[in-house]
Amino acid sequence: MSLQATLRAKWFWYSIACVLFWGAWTILEKMASTEIPQETVQFLFTFGALPVAVVLLVGRKFKLEKSPKGILYGLGNGVLAGVGNAALAAAYRAGGNTSVITAATAMYPMITVLLAVTILRERLTRLHKIGLVFAAIAFIIFSL
Amino acid sequence: MLHLSIPLWCWPATLVLLAWGTVGLLQKLSTNYLSAESALIWLVAGYVLLLPWLYSSRSIFTYSTRSLVFTLVSALLNTLGALALLAAMKNGGKASIVVPLTALYPLVVVVAAPVVLRESISLLQGLGVVCALVSVVLLST
Repeated sequence: MSLQATLRAKWFWYSIACVLFWGAWTILEKMASTEIPQETVQFLFTFGALPVAVVLLVGRKFKLEKSPKGILYGLGNGVLAGVGNAALAAAYRAGGNTSVITAATAMYPMITVLLAVTILRERLTRLHKIGLVFAAIAFIIFSL
Repeated sequence: MLHLSIPLWCWPATLVLLAWGTVGLLQKLSTNYLSAESALIWLVAGYVLLLPWLYSSRSIFTYSTRSLVFTLVSALLNTLGALALLAAMKNGGKASIVVPLTALYPLVVVVAAPVVLRESISLLQGLGVVCALVSVVLLST
C-alpha cells in the first residue's frame, strides 16, 4: 500500500487515535497516581471505563453472545487487565522515569508470546526471537 | 563490570507484564467465542468484579479534584483507545500492522513527558526505550 493510500485509509487514523488515547491514558495515570494509591486508581478507573461499555451494550441492543467459555475468558481479561493497571499505577508511584516505566510495561507481548508457545503450542517466529533479544537488551539497560 | 540494581518500580512493572501478557493470551482465546466488542464489554465487567477488593474506607473526596478527574479521564481514554483499535481492524486494517503500530503508544509519553511531566530521559534510557519499542513491534507481529 502506498504512503498516500495509507494516509487516506480510515484504519490508519483509527490506529493513530489509539496511540494518542493510550499515550494520554498513561500520562494522566502517572499524574493521578502521585497522589492516589493504586487500589483507588483502579477503583475509579472502572467508573471511567463503564460509559464506553454501556454505549457498546446499547449499540448492540443488549445482545451479547452467550458462550460461557467466551464470557469466562472475557471476565478473566478484565480482572487481569485491572490488576495490571493497578500495578502500573504502583510502578508510577514508586518513582522512576515515566517514559522508561511506560516502555518497559508495554513489553507485555513478550509474556503473551511465551505463553502462546508453552500453552497453545504456537511456534516462535524469527521476528519473535529477535524481539525477545531486544526486550532482554532493554531490561539490562533499564537496570544499569 | 556491569552493575545491575533493580529499581523499586521494577517489581510492580513485572506484575504488569505478567498480568497484561496473560490478557494477551486470553484475548486470543476469548475472541474465538465472542466478537471483539463483546470481549471489551466483558473486560469492563471484569473490572467491576475487582471492586470489592479495591474498595477503601477512605473517602475519595479527600483526594484533589484534579487527580480524581485525571483518573476517570485516563480510564475513558484507555477504553476509547481499545475501541479505536477495534475500529481500525473493522475498517480494513490488518492485525499484523495495526497491533504493532498501536503498541507504539509509549512514544507519545517520550515526546510529551519533558513538557507535561518535566521529565527528560538520558541517552542510555532513550536507547533502552528504543530497544523496548523495537521488541514490542516485533513481538506483536
